[in-house]
Amino acid sequence: MVDTRRQATVRWWSLRRLRPWLFLAIALTCVRWSKGAGFLDSYALIIRPFWPGSAQKDWIQNGFQLEREIQLSLLESDNRRLREMLELKRSKKNQRISAAVISRNTNGWWQQLELNKGLISGINSGDAVIGPGGLIGIIHSVTPLTSRVRLLTAPGSRVGVWIDRTKRHGVLLGIGTNRPQMRFLNKDPQANPGDIISTSPASTLFPPNLPVGVIQHIDKNALPAPIAMVQLTAAPEAIDWVQVVKP
Amino acid sequence: MKSILHRKKLYLLGLFSVPILFLSSPSWLTIGGVKPSWAILWLLPWALEEGSFSGAMAGFVLGLFLDSICLGSSSHIPVLFFLGFWWGRLGSKGPLIERSLSLGLLAFVGTLFLGFSLWFQMLFLPVFESNYFSKDWVFNVLISQTLITGLLSPIVCTLLLLFLRYNRTKYK
Repeated sequence: MVDTRRQATVRWWSLRRLRPWLFLAIALTCVRWSKGAGFLDSYALIIRPFWPGSAQKDWIQNGFQLEREIQLSLLESDNRRLREMLELKRSKKNQRISAAVISRNTNGWWQQLELNKGLISGINSGDAVIGPGGLIGIIHSVTPLTSRVRLLTAPGSRVGVWIDRTKRHGVLLGIGTNRPQMRFLNKDPQANPGDIISTSPASTLFPPNLPVGVIQHIDKNALPAPIAMVQLTAAPEAIDWVQVVKP
Repeated sequence: MKSILHRKKLYLLGLFSVPILFLSSPSWLTIGGVKPSWAILWLLPWALEEGSFSGAMAGFVLGLFLDSICLGSSSHIPVLFFLGFWWGRLGSKGPLIERSLSLGLLAFVGTLFLGFSLWFQMLFLPVFESNYFSKDWVFNVLISQTLITGLLSPIVCTLLLLFLRYNRTKYK
């Protein structure tokens, strides 16, 4: 007997018809799985020529800057009003005198700078001297044409400072080395390495909030109060121009 | 008369050059940022050539100059006065000192004396604003200054000594 029934087979043409649908299904799964990343990236590449130009970016940045300037001026006026109420010193940006360093001794027995401006230019003993980075010293003596700066690192230098983060006060003492010591007034200063120190806002001698340095190491077991080693933010060895700030 | 005046002018110029060098010493001529003691480098040949009285007086004047341009309250005068006198006596009474090694050793010892004198004044004299300083810093400055002055002295002191001798014989 001959079997006349036709055997069931999968025909090649039926698979070919299904193939696009299979590809489409896979593609859609990928799109779903990648949350449309490919689409978005392609879209971004295509519309790149039409992205907002630099002018628009500048407008936004200018807007931010203006906003910050307004905030700063508001804070400054607020700060001035509060300081006047407390009768404290305030920094006056217009009372800064630029002077060149004409002689420097930063590592010997005497750690001092000589500036090319003195009494005639309005500099007086006790004025603060700042370089790029922060406070570097105090005017020790003046002549009509020059002034001498005692660096913060010099033995005998003492400046009242505080840590802005913890609001704790201390005295910065020059000990001859490149890193002066900060002697805290509290037994628990709550200070950590990396804290920024600045001139005290309660100071009646120096302009407030001038950056001084960063705490590098703290000896919490020192008596009668902890001692910190401070890395100054301004390096007097490399400074050719300074600003004298009138308190 | 004219020759004596000319000689005095040269000596005054030499004396004034010490504080100027103190203020404007180049930064590359240092060890660990510490400059040489120009006062020692000038006083040594001067005292050896001119005698103990002139040496002591020069030391005193030089000390006054340096104290006026330095920040601290400790003084250069006592040790420079003593060194001027001592080197003057060595120059006039002892054998002729002109070898580089001898000059270098004298400058080395003189700078050590100067450093120790300033250190002790910082430690014990109440006129100094603060007797609180790091011992590491003191030893660093002391050793660096002694080394750089001792190294420079064979060149600088020999040349100055020759210059002073030449002027002395020229204007005699």
